[in-house]
Amino acid sequence: MNGKNVLAIRTLDKGVIQQLVDIAGDLKREVLTNGWAPRARRRTIGLLFFENSTRTRVSFEQAANYLGYTTVNFSGSGSSLSKGETLKDTILTLKHERLEALVIRHSSSGAANLAAEYFGGPVINAGDGLHEHPTQALGDALTILERKGTLTGLKIAIVGDVNHSRVARSNAWLLSKLGNEVRFIGPRTLVPTHSSFLPASTHLDLRSGLAGADVVMCLRLQRERMEDGMLSSVGEYTRLYQVNRTTIRAAASEAIVMHPGPLNRGVEIDDFTADGPQSAILDQVTNGIFVRMAAMQWIFESDQVEVLA
Amino acid sequence: MKTLFKGGRILDPSQELDIFGSVMVEDGQVVEIGPEVDERGLDEIYSCNGLWITPGLVDMHVHLREPGQEKRETIKTGTQAAAAGGFTNICCMPNTTPPLDNSALIDFILDKAASPDAGGIFVSPVGALTHKNQGQTVADLSSLKRAGIVAASDDGNPTQNSLVMARAMEFCHQLDLPVLVHCEDTALSAGTSMNDGATAAMLGLKGMPRSAEEIMVMRNCVLAMNTGCDIHILRVSTWGGVEMVRQFKHLGAPVTCEVCPHHFFFTDEAVGEFDPNFKTTPPLRTEVDIDIILQALQDGTIDCIASDHSPYAPFEVEVPFDQAPFGMAGLESAVAATLTALTDKGILSPLETVRKLSTRPAEILRLDAGTLKPGGTPVAQVTLIDPHVEWTYDVQRTFSKGKNSPFHGINFQGKAVLTYCGNEVYRDPRFSNERFETPSF
Repeated sequence: MNGKNVLAIRTLDKGVIQQLVDIAGDLKREVLTNGWAPRARRRTIGLLFFENSTRTRVSFEQAANYLGYTTVNFSGSGSSLSKGETLKDTILTLKHERLEALVIRHSSSGAANLAAEYFGGPVINAGDGLHEHPTQALGDALTILERKGTLTGLKIAIVGDVNHSRVARSNAWLLSKLGNEVRFIGPRTLVPTHSSFLPASTHLDLRSGLAGADVVMCLRLQRERMEDGMLSSVGEYTRLYQVNRTTIRAAASEAIVMHPGPLNRGVEIDDFTADGPQSAILDQVTNGIFVRMAAMQWIFESDQVEVLA
Repeated sequence: MKTLFKGGRILDPSQELDIFGSVMVEDGQVVEIGPEVDERGLDEIYSCNGLWITPGLVDMHVHLREPGQEKRETIKTGTQAAAAGGFTNICCMPNTTPPLDNSALIDFILDKAASPDAGGIFVSPVGALTHKNQGQTVADLSSLKRAGIVAASDDGNPTQNSLVMARAMEFCHQLDLPVLVHCEDTALSAGTSMNDGATAAMLGLKGMPRSAEEIMVMRNCVLAMNTGCDIHILRVSTWGGVEMVRQFKHLGAPVTCEVCPHHFFFTDEAVGEFDPNFKTTPPLRTEVDIDIILQALQDGTIDCIASDHSPYAPFEVEVPFDQAPFGMAGLESAVAATLTALTDKGILSPLETVRKLSTRPAEILRLDAGTLKPGGTPVAQVTLIDPHVEWTYDVQRTFSKGKNSPFHGINFQGKAVLTYCGNEVYRDPRFSNERFETPSF
């Protein structure tokens, strides 16, 4: 009774990625026309957020609402997990609560893979450690397609803490699989030193990395990076890597600016670029709903999916 | 009581012996080795055609987990696993609960290992280098030595403070105790769970840099050079670490080292999609490291092969990769993995293979083991190896409680099929009964 999983962009075929973006576009039109897009078959989906994330959880809930699915929330605190239950036992329990699919966010890389192994049915990764955040990348792809009219042949600059970013990994795989040029930009401590196997080139200098870029993706800078000594100060980072009204000029004139949120205004991005006409940041939020709908619909497109008898 | 191991390839590195012949054991001792032995008055015969007859094998790096961690392994199950793996001598590491830092615990281990329901092999305990294995103050090593430890070690909690390590080496030098060092700079390795490389970056797992290992290999070699204390580098895994050992040996430092089968059998890519059975420290490395390790095995820079048998309870391993414990069960796969990856591929000759699995570790720890010489061991210790048998490793068929093995499902060529330690302590089902005869009179 294995359904389809959305665990990582890295392991998804190019065709499936394209299909998910297409379905999302169709669902978006349907929702904008009819107000919702209910599927004939009702489904019950568990939302397991072991790591706090209001925005991603709300996005999944909205997606489920539009499809007419029911969601059941399960968060890390106040649950059996704080009573010492292992992830395996939590997953097995939810399987026997007859949930039909799981959406999981967890601070450990690979937690979604583990969940899929024990759940035995469809699992959507909503962010696992530093590994991947596939639905974020799918939403970003839909946004790029809408704003640039194409999803291929573009120059994509991903700026910031790539090493600690599951968004960067998912986007790098997705956009390179679809035939775009991906560049990572950031300080030596925050970009992959073994970048040859990740489908992207690495630039330590912001301007040369941004040169001619069609899409500029900023990543959120976490405070822990200062605490663990990977950066000397916020000021140093801002001086070298902030995407702002001056530095954005290195990119192509029609470049769009993206950010997975939440924003640190004045750190990785300034107000001008975050709020200006080139900003696609709020489109990303909205499109996140439609790709999550697409994922929730697609995982059930298999005859083998069934709940426990 | 006369037992004959008849007509096999006798491989005894302690005598540089590689001949076809038989080994006679009488009243628990080897009495005669040669192409022709007197076969009169035999009580039992093992026909060894097609097999190697070797000294009982020695694994100097085993975690038996008892006392305190019996959910992972016990002295009983661990010694049974060792016997099944071909070993007649193993050394158990001190990072138990509590750690082996006092003589009462050494007595406990030796008593348990000698009890009739254990595996029937010899266990040589390794004492904690520091009190409570905490790396702060040197343990009572002379009492521990009197109680029976054969070495001292910081395995499981590598000593960070260089002054503490220097002091410990001075004490151990005086007591003629080798120090088995776990080389890891824990500031560099904190929070990491696999080799710092391509696979780690793809999977979003924090990578353990090779410098974390190499800095401590270097430090410990320097301290050994300065104190004169014999040290043994536990499971070297990087090409840089191997080269440092080579250089320090060249300089005359009293240094030996070992490698584990998983470090020459797998690269970090084997982690695949977050399989915690491939998580260990130091981590699985790369092809470049394996190339240098194989060279170093050939030229003797790497002295011996040890399993670093680190069993865990299944529920400890069925967790996300970064939360899984470091370590792999290895007693029952070490010999087969060595035969498959090294001997069968011509990296090591049969005699050198046996040296690294028996004679050399016995020399490093001054054990009465690793030889077929009459009187060379307290009781006759013989392992029979079938170098050609093909079989598939299955963790469900192992004696160890630890099922956390990277070798599950791997096809091996070669296996220890009979282990003899004063008497028969393990016979593989594949070692057919036809090979075992009780002559009638």
